Amino acid sequence: MDRKEFTYHLRRWQKGSISRRQFLGVTGLGVATAVLAKAMPELVMPRAAYAGDLGDRVSLTTWPNYHDPKNFEDFTAKTGVAVEVNVFGSNEEMLAKLQAGGTGWDLFVPTNYTISTYKELDLIEPLDLSLLPAYDPAAMEQRFVEAGTIDGKTYAVSKDWGTTGYAVNTKKITEKMTSWKDFWDLAMGKYTGRAMVHDYQLTTIGNALKYYGYSFNSIDPKELGDAEKLLLAAKPHLFAINSDYQPSMRNGDAWLTVCWTGDGKQMHRDMPEIEYVIGKEGGEIWSDFYAVPKGAPHRAAGYALANFLLTPEVNAKEVQAHGYPSADSRTNKLLPKELLEDPIMYPAAELLAPLEFGAAATLTNPARAEIMARFKSA
Amino acid sequence: MATATQSDQAERRTRWITVLLLAPSAFWYLALLVVPLAIVVVFSFGERAAAGGYQAAFTIANYLNLPARAAAFRNTLILAPVGTIVCLLAAYPLAYYLAIKASPRMRLFLLILVIVPFWTSFLIRTYAWMFILGGRGLPAVIEWLGLGEVRLINTPLSVLIGMVYGYLPLMVFPIFVSLERLDKRLIEAAADLGSNPWRSFLQVTLPLSAPGVITGCMLVFILLMGEYLIPQLLGGGKVFFIGNALVDLFLQSRNWPFGSAVAMGLVVIMLATVTIYLRVTRRYGAGRDVSLL
Amino acid sequence: MRAYSIAVYLFLYAPIVLIVLFSFNSGNNASDFQGFSTLWYGKAANNRFVIEAVTHSLIVASSSASLATVFGTMAALAIQRVRGAARLFFDAMTYIAIMVPGIVIGISTLIALVTTFGLVNNILTTIWPGDPATAPQLGMGFGSIIAAHTLFSLALVIVIVRARIAGMDRSLMEASADLYATPWGTFRQVTLPLILPAVVAGFLLSFTFSFDDFVVAFWVAGSKTTLPIYIFASIRRGVTPEINAIGTVVLTVSLILLFSAQFLLRRGEKPKAKAA
Repeated sequence: MDRKEFTYHLRRWQKGSISRRQFLGVTGLGVATAVLAKAMPELVMPRAAYAGDLGDRVSLTTWPNYHDPKNFEDFTAKTGVAVEVNVFGSNEEMLAKLQAGGTGWDLFVPTNYTISTYKELDLIEPLDLSLLPAYDPAAMEQRFVEAGTIDGKTYAVSKDWGTTGYAVNTKKITEKMTSWKDFWDLAMGKYTGRAMVHDYQLTTIGNALKYYGYSFNSIDPKELGDAEKLLLAAKPHLFAINSDYQPSMRNGDAWLTVCWTGDGKQMHRDMPEIEYVIGKEGGEIWSDFYAVPKGAPHRAAGYALANFLLTPEVNAKEVQAHGYPSADSRTNKLLPKELLEDPIMYPAAELLAPLEFGAAATLTNPARAEIMARFKSA
Repeated sequence: MATATQSDQAERRTRWITVLLLAPSAFWYLALLVVPLAIVVVFSFGERAAAGGYQAAFTIANYLNLPARAAAFRNTLILAPVGTIVCLLAAYPLAYYLAIKASPRMRLFLLILVIVPFWTSFLIRTYAWMFILGGRGLPAVIEWLGLGEVRLINTPLSVLIGMVYGYLPLMVFPIFVSLERLDKRLIEAAADLGSNPWRSFLQVTLPLSAPGVITGCMLVFILLMGEYLIPQLLGGGKVFFIGNALVDLFLQSRNWPFGSAVAMGLVVIMLATVTIYLRVTRRYGAGRDVSLL
Repeated sequence: MRAYSIAVYLFLYAPIVLIVLFSFNSGNNASDFQGFSTLWYGKAANNRFVIEAVTHSLIVASSSASLATVFGTMAALAIQRVRGAARLFFDAMTYIAIMVPGIVIGISTLIALVTTFGLVNNILTTIWPGDPATAPQLGMGFGSIIAAHTLFSLALVIVIVRARIAGMDRSLMEASADLYATPWGTFRQVTLPLILPAVVAGFLLSFTFSFDDFVVAFWVAGSKTTLPIYIFASIRRGVTPEINAIGTVVLTVSLILLFSAQFLLRRGEKPKAKAA
């Protein structure tokens, strides 16, 4: 077929005088694509296979120190599906990877404020709850069910929740610390070279805003300007900007770090001198979810893994390993009493009251992204 | 270009062969170098989409915003040359020892020993340095010796150590090659003429090894300019290179257009510095021996 | 000078010694030695993701090094016959391919592929005869890593082989042509043996670069995990001695290959000299 003839058929198809199928038949394009797909399965990947058998692998993308490795072994023993675990440092980074495409993830763990963005960008699928029989919304704390629901559809199911405070090595730091003001003042003063902050904007800028008593979610230019000034002043005094702070805290390089509930709990469990503090000005309360990215290559296995991890018996083991509170009342019934009364996992009401959930606008705000980048490159 | 005459069939065939021989590489350069860099240039004039990524536009705002990364450019433009020079100072005596002092029997073995570390993963070796420079490594030893409290990890010094470690062999080899080629009788002649060893080194050995020094420096410099893993792992997010700024813009800020502008800035600086470097060193008589490798 | 050299070797080998030492750690923390054990070698050998990552890396490194060696040698042979714009194009591209940092190559290839794949995939979905949801889609994987690695290696091979050709005795080739050898005959019997060391060196360098590359692969690998990507992910997960065991095995295998190659070359030299 020459070019003229092809163009003629293309026009006809565009005008609608022939169907797409006819067009493909006449031009031979359909056959060509089918042949190409057969001949080069590596180059031309078929779209995800839907449902059916689980396959032999599943790829989970999650946060540092966030699971009981034994549970993955049990899952593999039960289903024959091996679990590949990727660990990320920030939601921004997860989003960036998913936006670029071709991640190969089957299940990942986004935080509350990202879910609406993922949905808008068409990066996650509405969950097929029939594949998650272990998930029971009625047994969950309602606010965490709602955070995963958009327009009545469930896009994400609650994994656990927590707060963002800071951890202090009280053998090295003897001052009684209670606020974000204490954190930044001591980090820049007496304990220069010993403090760590997260490597993402939401909490690092949010907790700098808290120094002045502003909202954690502020996108007000003047308030952000103040936060930037504080961050730039603190930069030379920091030990590191890194969301994986446990190794440095444990080996004594760092004495003070912005910290999530579970990491605080894990470090305190092994080294009682490391204590967890929630700044009295407030800060962040958050919840993490399981979600399935669009086009997950081992979708069925992804669902199976989520379902396994949400099973109360398994989830209870998870909670005992990672130290983050679960929103599932069935899981909590299986937990030892001292864990349910643990002050790190379940802080006092007056400490919880001023905490804020991160907002979607905080995540995607370009000014905050740029301030963080300037802080890091300073 | 002149066309082949009909009688000149052999020449025409040769021409066809030449074209066929060059075609795959030309395709590769076009598809994986020219097109991607052209797309980066286009993106650098675009805007960041609301949720991150790229949105078509035409603005030079990204280039005007480059001073916001001045610190990263400054860090790189200081630490890359410093790293290169430290690498040179560390490598030269070793190369000299290998080429001139070591017994010929041991030479090959010792030379291989320089490359062997290259065969374990770069990441694993850098991780080993994270341990050595971290609180439980060297600083603990220093403290135990009663020499006081020091901090090494996450400082420019630790990044410098990592860079020298990573690229030392690249400096040793070219210098070794040019020193080995050097006619040892020249040094002997200088000694016979009453020149002291230091003077004969300065007047004979050093100038003759210049091509190796120039090549080694360029290799190391090129790699250091684009470095991002070493500052990332040994600098704790505190020592920031242009490479880190780039990664940050793509992975955290998701600002593809600004990232593209920073990438273009880096490429332009690279091409400019290396081209000037080649011109200057060529003028100083290093001659034809200096090429890319 | 001797003492200095020993110090440099200590500097080079301190991390290697640590890596090997900790690979025999019985504890599960890479920085806390708890006793001697080969436990982690077994774990690594039974970890399907490790085996897979090694296999992927071998596929990528051998494909990209072969492509780069063949195409690069072809180009190096032909390049001196062209003048003008074509020559300028090749010289400039080779220069730029070596000069542009890996990180820029990685990111720009990613951007270019994401953009082109987006376009092509739309077309594929439109012209697919069946259900559009089952239409084949282009994605990143082996193809993109191999293509990106080949770019750098190609430039490397061109530079190395051209340097060898420049230092070659041209009269040999002319003599061969005078003796009515076909161009192919001249190439096989005269040119190739002369440039072979450079070609082999180019292949080995390309293979080494590709096998150990993280900076480029990280961006264009899609869901394909190569060994450096696996190692990077492990560092983030918290390093266990498994990583040290992998590093030690890679080191040992390279050493064995090197010494056996050395041995074979030495043995091969003598009879060959006689035959020639």
